[in-house]
Amino acid sequence: MNLLIVLFTIAITIAAYAFSRFLSKRFPHPLVNVVFLSTALIIIVLLISGISFEQYQPGLNLMTFLLGPATAALAIPLYRNREVLIKNFIPIVAGIVVGASANMITTVLTAKLLGLSKVTVVSLAPKSVTVPIAVSISKILNGDPSLTSVFVIATGILGTVLTPVLLNLFKVTNPLARGIAYGTTAHGQGTATALLEGPIQGSMSGVAMGLAAIYTSFVAPLLVRILIG
Amino acid sequence: MNYWVRVSLQITFLWIIYELGNLFIGLTNIPIPGNVLGMVLLFVLLFTGIIPIAWVEEAADLLLKHLAFFFIPIAVGLMEWVGLFRTSGVQLLVVIVLGAAVCILVTGLVAQILASKRSAKGGI
Repeated sequence: MNLLIVLFTIAITIAAYAFSRFLSKRFPHPLVNVVFLSTALIIIVLLISGISFEQYQPGLNLMTFLLGPATAALAIPLYRNREVLIKNFIPIVAGIVVGASANMITTVLTAKLLGLSKVTVVSLAPKSVTVPIAVSISKILNGDPSLTSVFVIATGILGTVLTPVLLNLFKVTNPLARGIAYGTTAHGQGTATALLEGPIQGSMSGVAMGLAAIYTSFVAPLLVRILIG
Repeated sequence: MNYWVRVSLQITFLWIIYELGNLFIGLTNIPIPGNVLGMVLLFVLLFTGIIPIAWVEEAADLLLKHLAFFFIPIAVGLMEWVGLFRTSGVQLLVVIVLGAAVCILVTGLVAQILASKRSAKGGI
């Protein structure tokens, strides 16, 4: 029964999400990541019950239906922080433009140098951008959305751990600059950590995350074409 | 009006904005995601005061709170790529760490230099 499989896949996805969310609230740590935990749980259940990804697809389409409106909703945190954005427009925009470009160039060239396949290289390009937008950029670049989503989450986890260490090491103490670095590198996961550091870091990170996503989506197709031809 | 009725109406409104973004991309063929354009459009509508934030606020907060849920199913597609992580796991880790490290330093340093220049002149 196809309908039963669809209902089952949706039920296990919701259950895995609820359980992982509970765990991450109970044990807040970058490694206790909701998306990684849920994904692992769901894959394990699918493998045990012999359901293929192809059979998971109809449920996936139903569940991701709201991703479009949810992405548009990312304008809300940007709007709420509009005053900080206007006041510090130049450091914010310059930091994001230079940082996100350096990130994409390093990523694509290193990936190419290490001999990764073309699909993998382009799927890596938008890895610092929040998942819904990174996935859309990946599709435009002929990458694989699933691969990109996993690279984005991995970047979020590693970026969250690396950001305070590297910023302290290089004496970046300005809360504004720290927030921008968090959001541009580690999107939503970075923003959650930046908020723990302080309110300025948190709101700057939220602004940076939104703007970096917009900037990357405009520039990535051109940059990738230049870098891999 | 009941909370869920308001949220449903607001989600419908967000969905229309998202579809307007897609429509524009479809007509012009610019290689930009429709959802990014929807986000920019909503920001402009709010910023110019054409629509009040109350029109979308409750639905936006609800969707963003559970944003992770909507992309977990996409990540499940990973099950088709297990081989890649077995053969190229180390390379992938190197690329991700290097890209993140460059991004953190370049972004942080550029922003700090420019921000401190402005604060010296009485900015921030």
